[in-house]
Amino acid sequence: MNYIQLEKLGEGTYATVYKGRSRTTNEIVALKEIHLDAEEGTPSTAIREISLMKELKHINIVRLYDVIHTETKLVLIFEYCERDLKKYMDAHGDRGALDPNTVRSFMYQLLMGTAFCHENRVLHRDLKPQNLLINRKGELKLGDFGLARAFGVPVNTFSNEVVTLWYRAPDVLLGSRTYSTSIDVWSCGCIFAEMISGVPLFRGRDNPDQLLHIMRIIGTPDERTLRKMVAESPEIQIKQWPRYPKIPFQQVLPKASPQAIDLLERLLQFDPAKRITAAEALQHPYFTSAGFGTNSSGALPTPYPPAQQATVIPPPAPAQYNYPHPSQPGVVYANPQITQIPQPQQPQPQQPPNGFGQYPAGYAHAPGR
Amino acid sequence: MSTGTVTVRRRLHPLASLSQIQSTPSAQDGVPHSIEEDLRAYGCKLIHQAGILLNQFVSSSSQFVTPHILGDRKQVAVATAQIILQRFFYVSSLKQFSVADVGMGALFLSSKLEECPVRMRDLINVYDLLLQRAAHTVASTSFAHPPPEFKYTPMSYFGNTFYDLREALVVSEMQILKRLGFDVQVVLPYGTLVNYMRLLGLTSRNEAMSMAWGYLNDATLIQWLNRLQTSVYALYAVPTVVSAAILLTTRQLGIALPSDPTNCWWELFDVEWEDLWSVCGYVMRLYRERTTDERVEIMGLLTKRDFRQWLENKK
Repeated sequence: MNYIQLEKLGEGTYATVYKGRSRTTNEIVALKEIHLDAEEGTPSTAIREISLMKELKHINIVRLYDVIHTETKLVLIFEYCERDLKKYMDAHGDRGALDPNTVRSFMYQLLMGTAFCHENRVLHRDLKPQNLLINRKGELKLGDFGLARAFGVPVNTFSNEVVTLWYRAPDVLLGSRTYSTSIDVWSCGCIFAEMISGVPLFRGRDNPDQLLHIMRIIGTPDERTLRKMVAESPEIQIKQWPRYPKIPFQQVLPKASPQAIDLLERLLQFDPAKRITAAEALQHPYFTSAGFGTNSSGALPTPYPPAQQATVIPPPAPAQYNYPHPSQPGVVYANPQITQIPQPQQPQPQQPPNGFGQYPAGYAHAPGR
Repeated sequence: MSTGTVTVRRRLHPLASLSQIQSTPSAQDGVPHSIEEDLRAYGCKLIHQAGILLNQFVSSSSQFVTPHILGDRKQVAVATAQIILQRFFYVSSLKQFSVADVGMGALFLSSKLEECPVRMRDLINVYDLLLQRAAHTVASTSFAHPPPEFKYTPMSYFGNTFYDLREALVVSEMQILKRLGFDVQVVLPYGTLVNYMRLLGLTSRNEAMSMAWGYLNDATLIQWLNRLQTSVYALYAVPTVVSAAILLTTRQLGIALPSDPTNCWWELFDVEWEDLWSVCGYVMRLYRERTTDERVEIMGLLTKRDFRQWLENKK
């Protein structure tokens, strides 16, 4: 192999990720090793990931350099990133919350990558902080396309078991199979709120509980909205829910600026048809207006954090996935309505909700682990 | 492909190059063009039949998915598998890979891509039946006293058939991925057809819609014997194929569309007349009736061993 295998970065049921170095260029890469099973052939996640990622070349998408295919295993060679957004938030944030400029920069890059996928008719379907990788330069890149799929002109009936529970759009939770780009937009909204507050916005235990968590904040949708959604995707199942009023995001996220709140509002629309697109979101005043947090050179937003910030990345903190539990004193919740939170034993819901088994949490963990 | 802003459809729907079309790997191994075309078509037919048989297994596969939805996806998977098979034989020779193995691998692969994975055991059983049936047809026409009516013999519990077929399946799936460089995303043309027909104001005529759909099917999905699958989808972009279906339909029904040199409807979809015309030729060629001998000859070439032997004898 043209790469020297270095330390292990992470492991999942379907792949093991190593750090690696190219023998020819000395470049550091991430090697994702997938074992081929005689029972199942090539895993569908690997097929999707390769066939889609090899064509998606964008600064905000992790680059797939090469694929090595042997009888027993498949090795994917990826661009190396230091850590995922989850770890970045743990290491740099104030209890996980990032400063407004970094949030804006990351959000901009997240939407750039997402818009590029959508432009190329690819749905990511599993956007979450663990799948967003941050490199030393402060560039954010979408990774782990194991659940992604290409979509064509007709709206297809896709699998309903996509997107990790906490970032799953309400229409998918209701059983929609005709979802489209809007499900990635919802996930972007959830990640946006999480970067601002440091805690995931909606933390349900299971499908129905997740839906209740969403409704407790953005309010139970009215009859007309629900009827319209059913008309558009007949496979949606409607039940009777408690009628929660909408809580203003300003109350949930006191730290957010009015423009950030306005953008969040548009990203987290219950009705998928009303959700803003990733491309439109990039034009939102939150990014384009002068005033708030602009850099010294002009009115346009910095796509990345200022250079000094980028180069001086402090040594990585040990991996922390512990969300503060209500029993711990002094914990402020993003969601004031939550009175009872199940003991978080794992970072993810225990049953991997996407049905594909546990993934490596991200293939570019902090070095030196 | 690497140059900047290539349109999406092209990116995710790779086409064969001119040199690949003029001299396929099989042709380089001395396989006559007509045999290659018919064998490809037969491989696609097997995929189609396997798809139909596999639908019977649907109800047991998932508690989350209602059978009819999975059934729809399975149809898409069948069409996708057929296109993958056509693509595969533009980079590989029939001497190296049998259409039966590749078809099985392609269907396995496409069922994963379309999110309706089939069980390996089911797929192998279905292909075992189809291959036995083809072998029986060959046997019953080549002897003076044909054997009794076809009866499927299930594979023996301790026999090697299952393991041999599973090996062939896994290898062919891997070879498809390897040789196509993971270019296995397929754009099916049906959505485009609906859009084009709407744009041309043809949707009000039901017969036109169903006829165009039929032509498109004949170009992609396989019907019985005299309507064989073409390789049109590996050669031309979706708009060309869809326009050809519309052209054939409007000509047959006598519907007038603007076709003056300065004002041609196909230009609306960026289609060249020459391409359009040759796709029509491909489709029309499907309707040539094959003789019994021709059909049986093809069925006798499904395994790699039989095919190589045939190729040897021909020399």
